[in-house]
Amino acid sequence: MRTRTEQTEIIALLGIAIVSQAIGNVLLSQGMKSISEASPLVWSDWGVIFLRVLDTPSIPFGVGFLIIFFVLFATTLSRADLSFVLPAISSEVIVNVACANYFLQETVSATRWLGVVLISIGVVLVVRSSPKTFGIEREPVVAWEKVDR
Amino acid sequence: MITALMIAIIVLADAAADVFLTKGMRQIGEVTSFSPRELFAVAARALSNRHVLASMLFMAMHLTGFLIVLSWADLSFVFPATAMVYVVGTLAAKFVLGETISAHRWAGTMLVCLGVGLVSIP
Repeated sequence: MRTRTEQTEIIALLGIAIVSQAIGNVLLSQGMKSISEASPLVWSDWGVIFLRVLDTPSIPFGVGFLIIFFVLFATTLSRADLSFVLPAISSEVIVNVACANYFLQETVSATRWLGVVLISIGVVLVVRSSPKTFGIEREPVVAWEKVDR
Repeated sequence: MITALMIAIIVLADAAADVFLTKGMRQIGEVTSFSPRELFAVAARALSNRHVLASMLFMAMHLTGFLIVLSWADLSFVFPATAMVYVVGTLAAKFVLGETISAHRWAGTMLVCLGVGLVSIP
């Protein structure tokens, strides 16, 4: 069982990871939509598409936020159970639906909102359990490097 | 039949990527500092860890499989079907990583799986 401070820290890291991923997805979605709206994409001209992607600021920013997400996801996996992190990180779906509704003006059906409610209840149930049940071997890194090679 | 097979491969590859990433990060040790120096050191250790590298391979497999199946199947069918990864990942966490899954955590995971399925239906 972890202390409450450690548990709060893990949940805070997951919260930042979820928000980073949602921002990354919205930026990528906006960027790709603006590219395809400017002129139709011809997938055989992948070189041209690549240059247009680099020329759209929201796409590199979106990728940057997704990198932040991945670093935080990997960090929390070093400190908490996969069976804790995996369902907890699914709150990304809730943030994504809200962002799609608010920023991208996409219509969200009643079925989707019901899904959001179920995910919310599920995440609350998972987050209430202890985040770590496995025993980390607290070996120094140097010792691990010798073993792994 | 081929769609079901592809979805099984996608779900298994995703769960395998998560399990290998978890194994790798546990070998590297708890990351408690976010100073650039520490993060670079962790990144260097991660990129030379066999489990993290295997995780990246499975992530690539997952993404490739996802793109292939989307060439003939609807996203509105593929996405809810791949929500099974929450259940498969939790089973793998129990049997491969030795985690203890309480009844609360199982119930929460099943609700999340069902919820993601519903959210993905257009």
